[in-house]
Amino acid sequence: MGRGWRPILVGGAVVIGTFALAKAQIFEPSAPAGPTVVGDVDRGETVFAENCSVCHGAGGTGGGVGPTLVEAGLDEAAVTSAVQQGRGVMPAGIVSGQEQADVVAYVVSVSSPSQ
Amino acid sequence: MLIADVAGRYTDLVTTVFSSTIAMKAWFATAALALAFVQVTTAARIYGRLHFLPERGPAVARLHRWSGRIAFLCTLPVFFHCVTILGFQTPDTRVAIHAVAGTFLYGVFAAKVLIVRDHSLPAWALPTAGLTLASMLGVLWLTSSLWYFTTVRFGF
Repeated sequence: MGRGWRPILVGGAVVIGTFALAKAQIFEPSAPAGPTVVGDVDRGETVFAENCSVCHGAGGTGGGVGPTLVEAGLDEAAVTSAVQQGRGVMPAGIVSGQEQADVVAYVVSVSSPSQ
Repeated sequence: MLIADVAGRYTDLVTTVFSSTIAMKAWFATAALALAFVQVTTAARIYGRLHFLPERGPAVARLHRWSGRIAFLCTLPVFFHCVTILGFQTPDTRVAIHAVAGTFLYGVFAAKVLIVRDHSLPAWALPTAGLTLASMLGVLWLTSSLWYFTTVRFGF
């Protein structure tokens, strides 16, 4: 086999290695990590309007590519997981830290069936 | 325990500068794409296909090398988050194209680096590899940064 194949073989090996690494997701968070941050529903409404309403509609009422969140019955763990790790077409990590805590508090509040 | 903390610590580190990890990735990918444009432009000058740069001498070659090195460095924080934390996902067409192109990116990069150093290969091999690499960066940018800037928000 000539030297001309070397870039293709090495490149192919790197592709396979990258794919294996991506499938392994070695640093995927298994649970919400870090210290507990208390979210604020009012601030979360602003964060939601700026980052989430394009897909979930104003106030989570739907109309975009994301599901309707109003009265969806979501708990804090489910919303936190979706924000941190993404879900479907929703990318992971759109917000984080205090903004994440705030928007999670807001989404949990609007998704409550009693709203 | 340490591994379980990596994603959270990485997010904490990134959010000291950016609003979120995805914002960081959008901007680093944009920087990498801009540098890829410099790469293609300077390569075209080196090959005598463009004439607006001042000369074909060592300055252009140095600019080509350093823009490539910095572009590679810009991709590393993105690669780390996408590959080790998010992984290979195909929930829709955009993400699927992004995942496949991202998987091939460093393979094409490795091949290109080897082709640069192997002078026994045909003359078309290097520009082909370089254009393939730049095109893949373009596809990755279109399916991530452009989507983020136009759909989520344009900001840091």
